[in-house]
Amino acid sequence: MTNVLYFDNAATSWPKPPAVGQRMAAFLDSEAANPGRAGHRMAVGAEKMIDAVRKQLTDFVGGTDHHRLVFAMNGTDALNIAMKGLLRHGDHVITTTLEHNSVSRPLVAMAEAGFIELTRVGFSSDSGVIDPEDIRRALRPNTRLVAVTHGSNVLGTVQPIAAVGHMLRQINNGRTRFLVDGAQTLGVVPIHVQTDAIDILAFPGHKSLLGPTGTGGLYVNTGVTLDELSAFREGGTGGDSSSPTMPRLFPYFLEGGTPNTVGIAGLGAAVEFVVAHGPEKTLAHERAMVQAIIDRLADNPKVTIYGPKSAANRVGTLSLNIEGYTPQEAGGILDESFSIAVRPGLHCSPYAHQALGTFPDGTVRVSPGHFNTNEELNVLLNALAEMAD
Amino acid sequence: MALSDIAEQLDQADPSLARYNRQMLWAPIGIEGQKKLKAAKVLLVGCGALGTVLGNLLARAGVGQLTIVDRDFIEITNLQRQVLFDHDDIEQNLPKSVAAQKKIARINPEVSVEAVVTDVNHSNIEQLAAGKDLLLDGTDNFETRFLINDVSIKHNIPWIYGACISAMGLAMNVLPGETPCLRCIFETMPPPGMNPTCDTAGVLGPTVSVVSSWQAMEAMKLLTGNRADLSPFLFSFDMWDNRFQQLNVKRAREVADCPCCKHRQFEYLSGKFASATTSLCGRNAVQISLGTSTRVAFEQVAANLRNVGKASFNKFMLKCPIVEGEGERRREYELTLFADGRAIIKGTNEAGIARALYSKYVGA
Repeated sequence: MTNVLYFDNAATSWPKPPAVGQRMAAFLDSEAANPGRAGHRMAVGAEKMIDAVRKQLTDFVGGTDHHRLVFAMNGTDALNIAMKGLLRHGDHVITTTLEHNSVSRPLVAMAEAGFIELTRVGFSSDSGVIDPEDIRRALRPNTRLVAVTHGSNVLGTVQPIAAVGHMLRQINNGRTRFLVDGAQTLGVVPIHVQTDAIDILAFPGHKSLLGPTGTGGLYVNTGVTLDELSAFREGGTGGDSSSPTMPRLFPYFLEGGTPNTVGIAGLGAAVEFVVAHGPEKTLAHERAMVQAIIDRLADNPKVTIYGPKSAANRVGTLSLNIEGYTPQEAGGILDESFSIAVRPGLHCSPYAHQALGTFPDGTVRVSPGHFNTNEELNVLLNALAEMAD
Repeated sequence: MALSDIAEQLDQADPSLARYNRQMLWAPIGIEGQKKLKAAKVLLVGCGALGTVLGNLLARAGVGQLTIVDRDFIEITNLQRQVLFDHDDIEQNLPKSVAAQKKIARINPEVSVEAVVTDVNHSNIEQLAAGKDLLLDGTDNFETRFLINDVSIKHNIPWIYGACISAMGLAMNVLPGETPCLRCIFETMPPPGMNPTCDTAGVLGPTVSVVSSWQAMEAMKLLTGNRADLSPFLFSFDMWDNRFQQLNVKRAREVADCPCCKHRQFEYLSGKFASATTSLCGRNAVQISLGTSTRVAFEQVAANLRNVGKASFNKFMLKCPIVEGEGERRREYELTLFADGRAIIKGTNEAGIARALYSKYVGA
């Protein structure tokens, strides 16, 4: 597969920094015991490793209590822990049409079951950005949760989460919780749970954090108490086994079952890499690539580029269509004729595509990442230009 | 045994065997052979042209248990050669295996028929083949045949290959450990679209009858214990050009470094070489990706498809509209074929339908 030019980093980043695989292999070969707070030295060692990665990630998102960093299987899992833990019967929830199904499906299912009421606010198709005022207008006395993606996985556009967060704090401090889906941004766009006024941040480990699949987590900010949450996944916690239900203690209350220790070890190496390299440099690199695609194709009458014609407020994600080909065909050609991996379709975000008028076939999503080179970009640009010739 | 002796025995035999009188008069079968047929369990993979003739002959011959697997429904264009079906079956919109079951019940109610409506694949074929004495090929594609071949060799169950197009046919017995297997003869699948298919180049009823009658005869020899009389040849013919051949393939087993029967690598059964289907994110389309690498010649495929629909292609891909059925059952599809053999079939979300269309119109 090494001859594939990989431009599908919004789905999962690839390749990973070599240290990720090395750390995982080393941990698996010599340390991979089941962690536990009262156990043999290997178990304690595994627990210490996990604790260290908790701390690393907490620092990375601007958290203050690393026990509030909860590991999950992926972004979807983290979002489910947050939403199903927080919401009670009769609550009102506001979300956006940019959301991925990982936010949308649990909420719609709860709404269809009559458990919650759901309001969805739109975005500007020019800027690809939501207006915090729309959220303010949608607020109700029983609005318990506002769930917003930080970066659109279709358009790549970055959402004004700090504005939303501070607006909510100002209006009803503590009554409405603010959940941010950092799937497309954490690792490239700065996120600070304090200065952005985020109550819960959910994220996958395998996208811009450059970690392995099977990792993810959420940071539950200090304003949110355990009394507000129920445990979405219950089971063993490696300690406090005498308690008949989940121990009321962060992070264990929200972490049932043996954690993905091998993956978390790799995630630790990934975060080290991201921090050492500088997320701002990666963001600039990705934006330059997206801008180059826009510059090359924006004037081509056979190409439609969705969202703003500038990369300034984007992560490394761009959606386009080429006349004469369905997105699936264009994706097939890029793969088959040019060995370029992109992602055609709806990107698990049907509401965004409905708003863009690209439902149900979707778009071709091109998502450059940290490791894409300019040579690879040129092959991509030439391929797209040849197809749109 | 003299004929008069057989006739005498038949007079005293189980009256339920009466219907097989003419068959039992043939000494190599006799009463004992007939009882063996009654005890036999056979899996029939595919119930189209070859499959219906096989089902018809074997049910009439008294094979005790037939499991018939096919995922398709009957169309008007099937009736020209698929002998178990008629207009009533189309009216009732019956799956092929169910229609075959009903028809066989009227032909010979003593035969127990299990009708399975499914797409045979690497995850279900072992279960379907378990406990069977024989597997019969009524398929239209190489991938399923290699799958049958893998199951046959892995579980030591004989199978009988059969294939036909226009006026040409091929058939061969595969006896695990004794004869060459299909992969000794054809190690890999032909590139998709290289050969015409029955749905692009046509097929004549007599061709089907000859291939499947050959298979049925071999099945009867095998199931009645007359293994010494089984054909060791690859039977090949073109009845339009009046050419019949018996190819000696005995040496193929020694000559071929066969991944299946020599190295026991069941690459189709394990899924390694299985084609993958993905329901595409977006609307009503299934992508089929082949499990083996290949190159497609678009010119050839477009030529093959000339009677199917207006195929167009550029250097990247080939597109062809496909219409199946009539009236209420009319369905429109669009085939998009890429140079590595992968295809997008628009107009369905069902992997089985997409696979069937691929086999019928691209062929592999």
